[in-house]
Amino acid sequence: MKFIISLAFKNLTRYKRRTLITAGAIAVGIMMFIMIDSMLAGAEFESVRNLKWYETASVRIYNDGYWENRHQLPLDINVPDAEGITAKLEDAGYTASPRTVFSGDMILNADDFGEDGNIPVTVTAIDPQLDFDIFHFGDTLAAGRFLERGEEAALLGSWLAEDIGAKVGYWITIITRGNGGFYESMDLEVVGIVNCPNPNVNRGLVMMPFDTAGDYLAMDGAATEINIKLSDSADVEAAASDIQKLFNGSGLTALDWKYMAADYLALAEAKRGGTGIILFLIFIIAAVGISNTMLMAIFERIRELGMMRSLGMSDGKIRAAFVVEAAGIGLIGSFIGVILGILVNLFVVNIGFDVGFILRDMDIGYRIQSVMRGVWNVDTIGLAFIAGTVISTIVAFFPTGKALKMDIPACLRHQ
Amino acid sequence: MNRKLIFTAITILILLPAFAFAISGDEIVRRADAAATFDTAESSGEMHITDRFGTKISSFDSWARGENESLIEFTSRAERGQKVLRTENEIYLYYPDAEELIRMQGSALRQGMLGSDISYEDMTGGKDRASQYSIEITDEQNLLGRDCWVLTLRANTRTVPYPKEIVWIDKQDYIVLKGEYYTKSGRLLKDMEVLEIGEMDGITMAVETRISDKMKSNSNTVLIMKDLKVDIKLDDEIFSLEELSW
Repeated sequence: MKFIISLAFKNLTRYKRRTLITAGAIAVGIMMFIMIDSMLAGAEFESVRNLKWYETASVRIYNDGYWENRHQLPLDINVPDAEGITAKLEDAGYTASPRTVFSGDMILNADDFGEDGNIPVTVTAIDPQLDFDIFHFGDTLAAGRFLERGEEAALLGSWLAEDIGAKVGYWITIITRGNGGFYESMDLEVVGIVNCPNPNVNRGLVMMPFDTAGDYLAMDGAATEINIKLSDSADVEAAASDIQKLFNGSGLTALDWKYMAADYLALAEAKRGGTGIILFLIFIIAAVGISNTMLMAIFERIRELGMMRSLGMSDGKIRAAFVVEAAGIGLIGSFIGVILGILVNLFVVNIGFDVGFILRDMDIGYRIQSVMRGVWNVDTIGLAFIAGTVISTIVAFFPTGKALKMDIPACLRHQ
Repeated sequence: MNRKLIFTAITILILLPAFAFAISGDEIVRRADAAATFDTAESSGEMHITDRFGTKISSFDSWARGENESLIEFTSRAERGQKVLRTENEIYLYYPDAEELIRMQGSALRQGMLGSDISYEDMTGGKDRASQYSIEITDEQNLLGRDCWVLTLRANTRTVPYPKEIVWIDKQDYIVLKGEYYTKSGRLLKDMEVLEIGEMDGITMAVETRISDKMKSNSNTVLIMKDLKVDIKLDDEIFSLEELSW
């Protein structure tokens, strides 16, 4: 065995260029595998985080009948006494904040916007003193200031502001239906623009103070939802169940973010299947490259193989020598691939790729606004290293067998 | 003392006919709503929709039964076959090219029908405004050579779309000659004005009406009635969902 390993090592060093080219192909394949896996896992991680940070919170309390009618954003199916409910949750140790979400038309006037127009919008009325404890808008301000309680003001997402040409100090009018169905209009000054990392939010975000909206919409202290924040490690299903117990019999339902984002999670699950296929294809491409190089390496050495057989070396030992040599190439390639993969991943994790120009006008399902960052996945790196070595070894086994089936004179005459 | 009693009696006798024959705002609106509602009706007309891009003409046939059921079928080339069905509680749209039936709800109800200033919302709701508003006669004016009352309607419920309306109602035929429709905070959202009155099937009615959505600039829709037949026999199936997609 020592002889075989020694022979394989000598062959590796004797054919330096071939060894380097083959190992390089393996290294590039492994590097790509590590990088793409990192980016896709990072996109998914960041999407889930942005979903919770800017859309769903951890747990949300609705009126029992709201969820099935949520697409109509009804104001009459609400959580009454939002202040009392929030206080009750705080007494139970939860951080909570009420919101009222409603649809309307945003009227833009020529004085500010240069041209009259209107667009349908969804307005989120927040309590400026509580909402940032739940949602992470605190560090997203791009211009102006945040909202204050009781003022007739609005905060816009930066993409929406860019699309309509809004700037801080402009006025917008919201025409909507109040609680019951009456028409109401609100003139709001744009006091701030936020650049939210969640593209779904940033594309259409209009925020206004909760109490101002309540007055206009005749909510009588009600909210359409109460949002609750839990720690990242919390069991949200169990927490939702505990919160539900606080409000049993009061016509309210506590839903965790996984339930509310079931559509997104189902899509992410399907996407994960697609991601697996992409990674598998990358692996196949790398494997085909490795096997092709190994095939060439073996066939160009058939005469050498015939000479070793004529000198009395057994077929098993010859095959073992070639397989160990291939394993050596695989090992070198995998090692270089992992090193390159880690180096590239350092860039992907810490700096990332700016894909904002694609995501600006296209929804690809991920809640990422611009920079696509990766995550460290030690399992993937280990798997890539092992797979690179094993595949190289396996693909050397079959062409060696084919060469060994030739008789010795044919091997020696092989061109 | 006797002199005072006699004076009071005379005053009552003078004013009594005025009180006895004065019509209340509620009654005026009730009569106006009744005048605009037929047991059954079949009509045809045109909508001239003007916006900053120009004027578009859409023609339609429509059928109505009572105050809650109506069907509009567009006959102009661009929209041929599109239908809008209003039942007691819902509004449905039918697009023949897509063979698709859409139930209008939520904010979609504020959209203008075929891009006009008449929203789907304007088609909904009963016409029993007298029970939903506090009505006050605020003025008397003359429009189109007709004497009319000016009434201010303030909603006493949250379930009506327009919390405040000011309407001009013709004293002779109870036709609403002009209307202004406001949001709760008092912004004028929409106005309508009758441009021409005519007679169809023995009924004096508005044959040309201009409606403006005040939230759209340089926009108005003129509704022109071409033909009207009232109290005709209508097939029950006309107002069914099954019939809508045929």
